[in-house]
Amino acid sequence: MLSYILRRFLLAIVTVWAITVLAFVIIQLPPGDFVTIYINALQSSGSPISYGQAEAMRAQYGLDQPMYIQYLKWMGMMLQGDFGMALAWNKPVKEIIGDRLTLTMVVSIAAILLTWTVALPIGIYSAVRQYSLGDYVFTFIGFIGIAVPNFMLALILMYVGYKYFNMSIGGLFSPQYAEAPWSLAKVLDLLQHLILPALILGLAGTAQLIRIMRANLLDELRKPYVVTARAKGLSETRVILKYPVRAALNPFASTIGYYFPYVVSGSIVVSLVLSLPTVGPLLLTALVAQDMFLAGTIVLMLGVMTVIGTFVSDLILMWIDPRIRMEG
Amino acid sequence: MAIQTQQPDAEERISLATQWQLIWWRFRKHTLAQIGAVIVILFYLVALLADFLAYSDPTYVEAQRSLLPPHGIQWFDDGKFAPFVYGLKGTRDPVTFKRVYVTDTSQKYPLRFFGKGFEWKFLGFKFDRHLLAVEGAPAEEVLFLLGTDSLGRDLWSRLMYATRTSLTIGLLGVTLSLFLGILLGGISGYYGGPLDTFIQRVIEVIRSIPTIPLWMGLGAALPREWSVTQVYFAITVILSLIGWTELARVVRGRFLSLREEDYITAAELAGCSQLRIIFRHMVPSFLSHIIAATTLAIPAMIISETALSFLGLGLRPPAVSWGVLLQDAQNVQSLAISPWLVIPTIPVIVVILSLNFLGDGLRDAADPYG
Amino acid sequence: MAQRLIKTRREFFKVAAMAAGATALAACGAPPTAAPAPPPATTAPAAPPTAAPPTKAPAPTAAPTAAAAAPAPLGAQYIGKLEGYEIQVGAARPANLKEAPMLAELVKAGKLPPVEQRVPDEPCVTKPLREIGQYGGTWRRGFIGPADGENGNRMVSVDKWLFWDYTGTKIMPSLAKGWKVSEDGKTTTIYLRKGLKWSDGTPYTADDCLFWFEDLYSNPDLVPTPDRALAPGGKHGKMVKVDDLTIEFRFENPYWLFELVLAGDMLPGRGQATGQFASWYYGGYAPKHYLSQFLPKYKPQAELDAAAKAAGYTDWKARFQVLKDWERNPELPGVQPWKVVAGADITKSVWVIERNPYYWEVDTAGNQLPYIDKIQFTLAENVEVINLRAIAGEYDQQERHLDVQKLPVFIENQQKGNYTVHIDPGTNGGDANIYFNFSYEEDPEIRKWILNKDFRRALSLGIDREQIKEAFFLGLGTAGSPIPDPVMPEYPGDEWRTKWHTLDIAQANALLDKIGLDKKDAEGYRLRSDGKGRLRLEMDCTGSFLPYPKLAEMIVPQWKKIGIQLDIKNLERATLEANRNANKQQLMMWSNGGTELLYLYPIHALPVQVNSQVGPEIAKWYSTGGAQGMAPPDPDLKKCIELYDEAQTKNLEERNKIAQEIWKIYVDAVLAIGTVGLSPAFLGLRITSNKLGNIPARHVNAQHMRTPTSSRPTTIFFKS
Repeated sequence: MLSYILRRFLLAIVTVWAITVLAFVIIQLPPGDFVTIYINALQSSGSPISYGQAEAMRAQYGLDQPMYIQYLKWMGMMLQGDFGMALAWNKPVKEIIGDRLTLTMVVSIAAILLTWTVALPIGIYSAVRQYSLGDYVFTFIGFIGIAVPNFMLALILMYVGYKYFNMSIGGLFSPQYAEAPWSLAKVLDLLQHLILPALILGLAGTAQLIRIMRANLLDELRKPYVVTARAKGLSETRVILKYPVRAALNPFASTIGYYFPYVVSGSIVVSLVLSLPTVGPLLLTALVAQDMFLAGTIVLMLGVMTVIGTFVSDLILMWIDPRIRMEG
Repeated sequence: MAIQTQQPDAEERISLATQWQLIWWRFRKHTLAQIGAVIVILFYLVALLADFLAYSDPTYVEAQRSLLPPHGIQWFDDGKFAPFVYGLKGTRDPVTFKRVYVTDTSQKYPLRFFGKGFEWKFLGFKFDRHLLAVEGAPAEEVLFLLGTDSLGRDLWSRLMYATRTSLTIGLLGVTLSLFLGILLGGISGYYGGPLDTFIQRVIEVIRSIPTIPLWMGLGAALPREWSVTQVYFAITVILSLIGWTELARVVRGRFLSLREEDYITAAELAGCSQLRIIFRHMVPSFLSHIIAATTLAIPAMIISETALSFLGLGLRPPAVSWGVLLQDAQNVQSLAISPWLVIPTIPVIVVILSLNFLGDGLRDAADPYG
Repeated sequence: MAQRLIKTRREFFKVAAMAAGATALAACGAPPTAAPAPPPATTAPAAPPTAAPPTKAPAPTAAPTAAAAAPAPLGAQYIGKLEGYEIQVGAARPANLKEAPMLAELVKAGKLPPVEQRVPDEPCVTKPLREIGQYGGTWRRGFIGPADGENGNRMVSVDKWLFWDYTGTKIMPSLAKGWKVSEDGKTTTIYLRKGLKWSDGTPYTADDCLFWFEDLYSNPDLVPTPDRALAPGGKHGKMVKVDDLTIEFRFENPYWLFELVLAGDMLPGRGQATGQFASWYYGGYAPKHYLSQFLPKYKPQAELDAAAKAAGYTDWKARFQVLKDWERNPELPGVQPWKVVAGADITKSVWVIERNPYYWEVDTAGNQLPYIDKIQFTLAENVEVINLRAIAGEYDQQERHLDVQKLPVFIENQQKGNYTVHIDPGTNGGDANIYFNFSYEEDPEIRKWILNKDFRRALSLGIDREQIKEAFFLGLGTAGSPIPDPVMPEYPGDEWRTKWHTLDIAQANALLDKIGLDKKDAEGYRLRSDGKGRLRLEMDCTGSFLPYPKLAEMIVPQWKKIGIQLDIKNLERATLEANRNANKQQLMMWSNGGTELLYLYPIHALPVQVNSQVGPEIAKWYSTGGAQGMAPPDPDLKKCIELYDEAQTKNLEERNKIAQEIWKIYVDAVLAIGTVGLSPAFLGLRITSNKLGNIPARHVNAQHMRTPTSSRPTTIFFKS
């Protein structure tokens, strides 16, 4: 048991290392580097630049060194807990991500909560009333979220919100609260702004959850104890909610570990469209600008979160269901 | 597939049915999945017949017809069924700056079914017949069922070609994923041991990196010399390089659980060869699962293609795909003054829902004894 | 048509000006007093047009002439009269100085000296466009993150020694009191304002300029290579302090261009904000009393490095880069009208700049400027959100990041959003030029044709510019060659707008047949002369600023009509630039913004600056003095470069003549194909809240005018 956990832990470390390599490579893949992109941007705003200037900048950021040295340096910094400078910001990566990480959590949790409130009832209903009209109608509604390209949905809802409901456009705060200290008014302002992102991101996840819930519950419902419970005259609601739903929820709980990072990665595009001050748009701008330290940190962070999440999920699953202990 | 006994009672019927019959019966119970199946087939027909269903050259550009709203067909002329369209005159309103089109009822252009239009090639043959054609003027200048985009290109015709591109990307990408998934998942599941551990780590690493940086890295690294077709193919490869992991998991899981099944053990004890066990006993039992998983992977590919276009990494004009069309609509002015440009969202939704329901139905059915 | 549009006397003048052609615009450059005095209460002449039914339009007395003229060109409704502020050069400081209430409070509290001690003895006296304004208010704008520094820089660009009058054609003193160029052109003297102070109250003197020159600009740690703009003819000039309020730039060669360099948007004259943000160390001056404490010359380097490490930076240089940046460091003394507020710098989601109590400009009534207290930039993670917020009226004035394609939406929502739409066409002649890479070598056959004048002319004649104008510029802008706006002194004349730049398929085909491209394949495309199949041209484009790839797609069928196959390479910006620098481009599409002042921004016209798309190898040849790269292989291009060189040491009048000469050769030889220019595609769509006063109906939209500084933001105010 302990040796299994230890083995999994060691494997997780190897995985994280592999992720650092892959993250480094994919960020370096596009042509050019931060300096070329930066210079192009300045040149198009009318600032000519000399070759010397570019070289000096490369030296300053260490971009003139061979790839593997850059990688090793980056790793060395990471191990010391130094995430480096966000080049375009001229600020330590830590400072920039810190602000946005909290908001990313808030948005993701709101989305997950919405997913659950929509998906669980639909999942239960469609398992209990399999192939009924209600099953079809609710499943259909639950599935729309994965069918609509969410960047389009986000823009449409944002526009409709402005045009017909006078909602504020994008962002998570009104300007007066954006940099203000936390207060009740700020929280209310945030909640108001959360509706749209939570709806769009939450609906994107419902289909998957309905599916799992429905399948798990169908499995449970066929089990003898349900028949016994029915035979003993328990009310149908009680029969279903008391045991099968609980049992069906078990594997569910175990997926929480990696569901969260999954939602965060899934929110990148929507965050960009809705202009949410989360890590999503930050990652996209950093990738486009080839801001190695910033992009690398975010990719790595999400990767590590997934690895840890999976690890934790496996542990939970093992704890819940001893049958799978020896596998994997 | 013929049922052997003539009037079997239900019990007997089930016990005598082949596995595929069971799957079929079970599938028949899932109405939504059947509707999905019909819609998917229809869409793939559209993909096949895109040239025929389009009536305008999708690359025909005319600024004087830009952002033209959907222009309806008049079905009756003088009380007789004789479909035609009125002529149109367009200007830019100097005050509102919108393109304004006035119907000119003095000009009538009769429509013909199976008439002549722009030339297209299929399997090396040239054709010029289309489902709809116009008499008296090129279709590009008078017929606009779904309106036009900012370059005056006919949206209906572009949508037909986009359907072809996006649906085949889905299919091609999934085929590739399937190949990788079955191969690696199979190896992983059948042999187990260190090879399994290694493949599982690779899968975990790929799944741990958010897809967008992966896309951006791979997408931006495509060589510039590549033509539209090559980029198209590269994109399917990129999508499948990420997509195979899910299928590999399914395959591996199936292998693992089947290895333990009694009938496999029985077959082994009976002295069946490994090949026979795999192909006679194991593959049929998980093929249905694979089909279901594959069906569910296609919509993911299609959505990914649109997302790639949104990020500016997908197919690029002059290629037409759903992603390209949606990218055209991904702006405020499309919503505000030319909402018909958002129409391509509808087929995307319909197809993805259909494929999902179809896949769910198949998956339910794949376990006929469950 | 024209009559229906004319509703007020003012409107009539606009229409008439438009109808009379662009030359009338030059006439509009007359002082505002010559124009009919507008009612002071209304800044927005064009009330939302749809509101007034045409029948109610009062017939203006002068209507017959207007009606006789051609119908008003598209956009007349929104392209106003060019108008603006007036700088009263040499005017004495008004006797009675007034200040903003927020500063008066600080004075009362003893935290600030009285306004008389803060405003220089020789302030810049500016006559606002329409009226003396009122103090107060926050000006709301949108920005897209720390890379969008220019958004703020362009609001405070008056912090340059020299700037322009509102027409963008006459150099005016700004931060400096005046300047003089010596008889021989070798010395340019800058006179500083007496009593000018930094935002912390410390006097601004010639030492601050010298500090910049010696300790920033000449410090190889900070500026590794000298700037060409300070080295005419390759000989580097130097800055000399004459007295506390006078500095001189001395050059070995005559350098008549230098005043233009200082007034234009070039590195040495950019001022502190634009010259020293991000990784720049230019601008001409810097606060010595503050910045010197962070330089190794004045403080032990070990100490500085340690402080940098403690603050999270790798070394003193990395920290210094932030300390000298006005967008990031609220403690940095500056001379901008507004300076950044602590805790609300550019890296935050709301970037706020607040009035500088020591700002050196007053209006004619003695009010210290600016009128508006604060400018607040709210972060939007993407441009679509900025546009939507602008449409919703969430910004008081915005032109940056607004998309001309959305013009109808902006117009539709004018009333709801309580703003007015202005269109400010650019002054550069090509917003979607097709450039030839004159140093292209990869395919000798393509090279041969690129270097063939008639081939280039034929390609140009094969383009239907009206189609492009309608589809991508909403009918706005001018179709034709890449020459600048007629108001610019380098404009060569009307006939050069259309020469070789009209649609003439017959002539194009005749030219191509004549030069030996007369063989065609089954589909009607011309064949290569080396027998290797169809002649295919490649054009690189990227979707930045304008949807160039789509625009190029429109040219594909047009060139098919002259038998030329065009392949579009739709690339990422970075890939496009990499290909260009590697000399792999054949054709590419881009704007020629800046070329209206050819000597300042030649990069998009002539290959005389590194990485020019006109021929990257020729640019290398030019910038290395012929040591590397490729000499210009095309005689016309060579001639243009020679003329450009010759002009460097000429005086203004001769220089302008030479520029006209260059443009004539340029157009006649079609060194680049112009399609549509003088359009509002770049920064040309401006929305202004109806609450704002002193908003010009039109302001100059050009690089050197640092748009929207051409509106003089310091004089804009909230009307109640």
